[in-house]
Amino acid sequence: MPDWQKLVGQRLAGLALGAAEKQEIYTELAGHLEESYECLRAEGLADQEAIHRTLAQVADWRDLQRRIIIAKKTEDPMQNRLHQLWIPGFLTLTLSTIFLMTLQIHGYQPRIISWNGPDTILLYVPWLLSLPLFGGLGAYLSQRAGSPGSRVLLASIFPVLSLAACLFVILPVSFIVDAHVEHRIRMASFLRSFFEWVLVPGAALLAGGLPVQFFLSRRLASRRTAVD
Amino acid sequence: MIGSGIKRGTAELAVLSVLQEGPLHGYELARRIEQQTNGALHFTLAALYPMLYRMEQQRWIRGSWETSRNGRRRRCYRLTPGGKKKLAPLRREWAELFRALHRLTKVAHA
Repeated sequence: MPDWQKLVGQRLAGLALGAAEKQEIYTELAGHLEESYECLRAEGLADQEAIHRTLAQVADWRDLQRRIIIAKKTEDPMQNRLHQLWIPGFLTLTLSTIFLMTLQIHGYQPRIISWNGPDTILLYVPWLLSLPLFGGLGAYLSQRAGSPGSRVLLASIFPVLSLAACLFVILPVSFIVDAHVEHRIRMASFLRSFFEWVLVPGAALLAGGLPVQFFLSRRLASRRTAVD
Repeated sequence: MIGSGIKRGTAELAVLSVLQEGPLHGYELARRIEQQTNGALHFTLAALYPMLYRMEQQRWIRGSWETSRNGRRRRCYRLTPGGKKKLAPLRREWAELFRALHRLTKVAHA
């Protein structure tokens, strides 16, 4: 009878897992092969035939190795979402908010861009300049947790998504609270806020998130090609 | 040809259903499925373990090492509460699919 443990160890030598976990897999699979072999022998098969039939359970050991690695790296979908979206997203949101608050505490005044008389927009330029960095960080953390591309981008623009959500809550509330304000003025104010706090910061975050996502996904693809 | 999604779904249903009866190690689990389906479902080692590991990562089943009476160490798998929760809708979906296929084939023969 072959040394099944040794045989499995040799054929799955490239399992990219921790030593203890790898050893457990070898023991488990070797136990399975040994029981299959003993069962076939008990049915009356000759030694060589039983070995042949037992080993025929695995047509391609490299493929089995690959599938075990994929399976071991599969995570709970909830855990996935936590690591790929919520943690990077909230970190990006927190850091960018702290930076904006620091600017405001230190008395930094926003740049006022005016056109057409009273129509103005306020832009915190140093904050906007910092956003590509935060967007890139969110994208990096999300990509490192194995996110698909769309989720990487969502994590990188997470701060503006939460701001957009706030604005969309504030708008209907303002219809009730400030009922005397003209709709035209209210909508203009909403659009201006949307531009200042969602569109421009969103573009800045994407300016950091997109290159990181592009660069990391290409690196990952080339690594996969090398493994295959 | 049966698609991989359908194959995976039936395999998961088979494993969860059999483990609902009690904990089993991999080899015994494969044998039990084969016996209970009169050989219609047959799991080789290469098909079984990646699936068990994936289901374990998804917390539907839990594996733990046990020593049998003959001193052999085996990893026994048992259903988790998450697995039990997964099993009920899975059963419903497959029952619906089979009913639909049955209706379809009856119409085709009519």
